[in-house]
Amino acid sequence: MEFMYALIGGLIVGVLFGFVLQRGRFCMNSAFRDIILLKEFKLAKAVVIALITLMIGFAIFAFAGVIQLAPKPLKIWGAVVGGLVFGIGMVLAAGCASGTTYRVGEGMVGSLVAGFGLTLGALMTGFGVLSDAKVFLQKTVIGEGPALTLFGEFGALTPIFMLILGIVGAVLTFYFWGLPVLKKKMEAKEPLVKFDNAVESIFKKAYPWWVTGIVIGIIGTVAYIVSNGVLGITGGWMDLSLWLTTGDVVAWAGFIILGAIIGSFISAYIGGEFKIRVPKDGLTLLKQLIGGILMGFGAVTAMGCNITNILGGVPQLSLHSIITGACIMFGSWIMAYLLFMRGDKE
Amino acid sequence: MVDITETLDVSGEVCPYPDVKSKRKVKKMNSGEVLEILVDYPLSAERIPETMESLGHKVLSNEKTGTSAWRILIQIK
Repeated sequence: MEFMYALIGGLIVGVLFGFVLQRGRFCMNSAFRDIILLKEFKLAKAVVIALITLMIGFAIFAFAGVIQLAPKPLKIWGAVVGGLVFGIGMVLAAGCASGTTYRVGEGMVGSLVAGFGLTLGALMTGFGVLSDAKVFLQKTVIGEGPALTLFGEFGALTPIFMLILGIVGAVLTFYFWGLPVLKKKMEAKEPLVKFDNAVESIFKKAYPWWVTGIVIGIIGTVAYIVSNGVLGITGGWMDLSLWLTTGDVVAWAGFIILGAIIGSFISAYIGGEFKIRVPKDGLTLLKQLIGGILMGFGAVTAMGCNITNILGGVPQLSLHSIITGACIMFGSWIMAYLLFMRGDKE
Repeated sequence: MVDITETLDVSGEVCPYPDVKSKRKVKKMNSGEVLEILVDYPLSAERIPETMESLGHKVLSNEKTGTSAWRILIQIK
């Protein structure tokens, strides 16, 4: 019964998640890296909108008693080292944990290689040769009581802070990002919403950043409710590989990954964007494999990849997740600078 | 018909290589010349024209030539 619930629930949420990831091109690697590399902010804005939606969503369902919030305790070295290594790895792998997963469904062989690297790195760190390093890095826990959040220890007040921050964030982003777009459309006399080609825009076109952000936020909230707090990509890849190699029963997270790949494939296929693609340069594949292994190590050491920590933990104001998120971003900037920007200045 | 000065084929390349390579390429080209970019990665196909416009270059055309394949023509400013 429990297995069927994980199977059906996981697959449905996964397919939706994968579909939206592909339509929205939602990849935090691109989002963070391109802030400095291309001075391009649309995906970063989508991430911020998703976080605001999740904050409000989590807070409402926590008040209703539907979900239990569980911010992670602050394991400072796990967050810093794991985050930096993850950020460096994702630039090499050309995709964060979620970006890599949806690109597998698009037919990018390089991302499949990165996915295998991610799985290997995560298993090595979780149970294998690197597990001592992980235990060592996670030894220091700051705060003796409940997990530390942005506003002190986690408690009954935390969801209230989340709601306030979410609403303030929603107002600010609407004022600074939403209004200028609306004004432009009014001046150009474009209709705000075009209904005549709704099917086309939902199934075939790339989503605008704010739609992606809101929809990812809603799916994340639903996933948290249905799975009771399990929202992650790396754990899912580990789950799947353990099921394939040792026969352990696949849990919820594994089916999300399977569903996400299927959902992304459906989306890419309908949009005419599915094609088996291999990088011409073999070295790129090797870089993606190494990047994947680094991401796997980082994700397990930091107690979560970019989805678990940034989409799952940051909305709960977990200090651990906020520090990990900042380090992931910083790590990706270091690597983007070394790989693509150094010596490129005029 | 436009005269194409140079062609940059970034098919099979993953993000951000198509974007970075196109940016590096246009820097080396002269004003008025036309660059043809062949790309099969959706995100880059959407973003290269935007990046080029923000750099001041002119996007002459951007057409989908097949399943996940695009041909973008850029005229250097």
